[in-house]
Amino acid sequence: MGLNEKPLSTLHEKASYELADFAVPTGREEEWRFTPLSRLKGLHDGTAAASGGVNVTVEAAPEVTVETVGRDDERLGKAYVPADRISAQAYAAFEKATVVTVPREAVASTPTTITLTGAGDGVAYGHTLVKLEAMAEAVVVLDHRGSAVYADNVEFVVGDGATLKVVSLQDWADDAVHVSHHHAQLGKDATFRSFVVTLGGDLVRLSPSVSYTAPGGDADLTGLYFVDAGQHLEHRLLVDHSQPNCRSNVVYKGALQGDGAHAVWIGDVIIQVEAEGTDTYELNRNLLLTDGARADSVPNLEILTGEVAGAGHASASGRLDDEHIFYLQARGIPFDEARRLVIRGFFGQLIEKIEVEELRDRVMSKVEAELAG
Amino acid sequence: MTVTDRPELEGLGNYKFGWADSDAAGAAAKRGLSEEVVRNISALKNEPEWMLDLRLKGLRLFGKKPMPTWGSDLSGIDFDNIKYFVRSTEKQATSWEELPEDIKNTYDKLGIPEAEKQRLIAGVAAQYESEVVYHKIREDLEEKGVIFVDTDTGLREHEELFKEYFGSVIPVGDNKFAALNTATWSGGSFIYVPPNVTVEIPLQAYFRINTENMGQFERTLIIVDENSYVHYVEGCTAPIYSSDSLHSAVVEIIVKKGARCRYTTIQNWSNNVYNLVTKRAVAYEGATMEWIDGNIGSKVTMKYPAVYLMGEHAKGETLSVAFAGEGQHQDAGAKMVHLAPNTSSTVISKSVARGGGRTSYRGLVQIEEGAHGSASTVKCDALLVDQISRSDTYPYVDVREDDVSMGHEATVSKVSEDQLFYLMSRGLDEDEAMAMIVRGFVEPIARELPMEYALELNRLIELQMEGAVG
Repeated sequence: MGLNEKPLSTLHEKASYELADFAVPTGREEEWRFTPLSRLKGLHDGTAAASGGVNVTVEAAPEVTVETVGRDDERLGKAYVPADRISAQAYAAFEKATVVTVPREAVASTPTTITLTGAGDGVAYGHTLVKLEAMAEAVVVLDHRGSAVYADNVEFVVGDGATLKVVSLQDWADDAVHVSHHHAQLGKDATFRSFVVTLGGDLVRLSPSVSYTAPGGDADLTGLYFVDAGQHLEHRLLVDHSQPNCRSNVVYKGALQGDGAHAVWIGDVIIQVEAEGTDTYELNRNLLLTDGARADSVPNLEILTGEVAGAGHASASGRLDDEHIFYLQARGIPFDEARRLVIRGFFGQLIEKIEVEELRDRVMSKVEAELAG
Repeated sequence: MTVTDRPELEGLGNYKFGWADSDAAGAAAKRGLSEEVVRNISALKNEPEWMLDLRLKGLRLFGKKPMPTWGSDLSGIDFDNIKYFVRSTEKQATSWEELPEDIKNTYDKLGIPEAEKQRLIAGVAAQYESEVVYHKIREDLEEKGVIFVDTDTGLREHEELFKEYFGSVIPVGDNKFAALNTATWSGGSFIYVPPNVTVEIPLQAYFRINTENMGQFERTLIIVDENSYVHYVEGCTAPIYSSDSLHSAVVEIIVKKGARCRYTTIQNWSNNVYNLVTKRAVAYEGATMEWIDGNIGSKVTMKYPAVYLMGEHAKGETLSVAFAGEGQHQDAGAKMVHLAPNTSSTVISKSVARGGGRTSYRGLVQIEEGAHGSASTVKCDALLVDQISRSDTYPYVDVREDDVSMGHEATVSKVSEDQLFYLMSRGLDEDEAMAMIVRGFVEPIARELPMEYALELNRLIELQMEGAVG
């Protein structure tokens, strides 16, 4: 879509590979107004020059091919057109991309883990493509750790009848800045499961999006975040239903504690005129554990057809339920322990959905550590 | 369900207020906005200097502020083609007989004098073009010290009170259209209810635009003093012209400690009116503010009645119902800002889009630091009756306090075949069945309206749904 063609929806107005098509954000724009631009370390205004700060290693399942390719590889950028300034900046600046391919009908026997480790202060731009051919099945883990200023685009291309399960862990050090777009393109009857866990980083802005190229696509986007004092963790989701009889379900839950902890969750769903029989639901819940934290939650819904199977969203923000804690305390469980149990319950149902057992344990123990700290 | 895009069935006599009166005053009025126009309005009204200064400030800020880029498409508004002030009669009437024949006929057709005769309302104001042409309040209320006059008279006769509150809730530069209203305001209602007075039956205002390309900028200021109650009802209509008019009102309401105010609007402008309105109330300790907002007419409506909950235990409530037919965009919603502890707010929004129309719910709930113990519930339901219409939800939530509960829910559904079949098997035709389902859907809001307005709403739904089923 060109820039001059104003799309029907107000939720995603621009898409272009050209950095010049995006003005430097001022913070007044709808899509940037929640993000503290001064903490982006120049990712948004072109002043952050790449200095190669992120090391990529891949541990792949035997059925899967992994390549590191140059920026002119023609498979790249086919599924996703950058939709904002930093995404376009990352697209213009990355040098090497990681391409993971799962051949037709192959079923990956073990998870494929892509580990991205920040080496320190450096600025880095990246690009990742995960492509499942028809009827393939795989589990892919993106594990972000260390410290870096990093912007990247990740494309998930899920072929007809294929099933891709992704876990993306943002387990950065406290000073990391990460701005990322994850785009999934679903073919006919494709299944996509995404699980996002954002814990670390000074500023993380992650924009997962889903589009459909044929009927029957099915996407579940699940997310969990824990925001500490001074952290800004932002998730901006977009599900674009442009094909009939597709399904999407979005559930993001977060907890916030400490002064200046700021969570932003934007959940956009568009149901285009052609997308009859769409079934979609979005849910965001925020648990404010202390004063001084701030949660913004905006579930947007644009529906252009009357023939939907179901559409809705819900958002709730509040503190722990006193009654739950009282119930536990009445049974002799001390307050701190009771509080921990209730928060564990809040996240527990989500964590159970993580495909990889070691990751489940790691996320649970991280959440425990956050609560203890 | 079959596609209902059948133009031959639509738009036939659906809008019954679409006649235009002969229009000498309107034809003579000047188009376009300039400092001269603003000075002229102020001079015609013999206003004090401070009001002129405020108007000029509004004009400056209007020029500076950008057009909103969100919400509806406003590119069709031609500010240079609008008539900013039209005086339809020299003198305000206090009995219907004194009104010029054509204006009197208009209000007869709208049924206003009848309602007054039957004492269904405690006071009436009728605004025609830029100024209020008829005004009446029941004697017993006047004796209790209730002031209900048009805003121009309010400024003349109660300047001190007026100056204290005017622009205190919505500052001059709040947004582009509030600035425009401050520069060009004329008419509207000024209401003051003294402490401990309950106005049992509603005060009512009726707004009508008659001139083509008219801009109506009424300004309403309501002050409900401690432990008092008032219910204000307004209705709006305009003729159908081929080019567009602009209605840009500002409504400021102050609800003091323990008081309660209810503000009901049934907006039924014709489909060539841009309706861009700023409405905001402040509610102090233990006060209750209720907005009941019906948007049925207009080409574009952008209206988000707000309540700023300033005192402990203040309560805000918005009930909103919107219908969008062919060519209409209702971008309506509510804004609740919690600034004090233990405040509560409720928003219930129901919308129906048909015939290619578009309804949007756009809302904000903000819970500021210190507003502990606050609770907010937002529920939006949309009903789609065909495949060519559109329904959007943009609810913003900003919570900065841990000890609160905030919930938002939205559902979008279509009218089910089962419901239709059930009603049709009992002998209703499809149109009637559809209208009945839609009436049931908005019933929770209709029952909050005064009787005659509830009947009017039901009748309007019937008109809107006529030919909706193909």
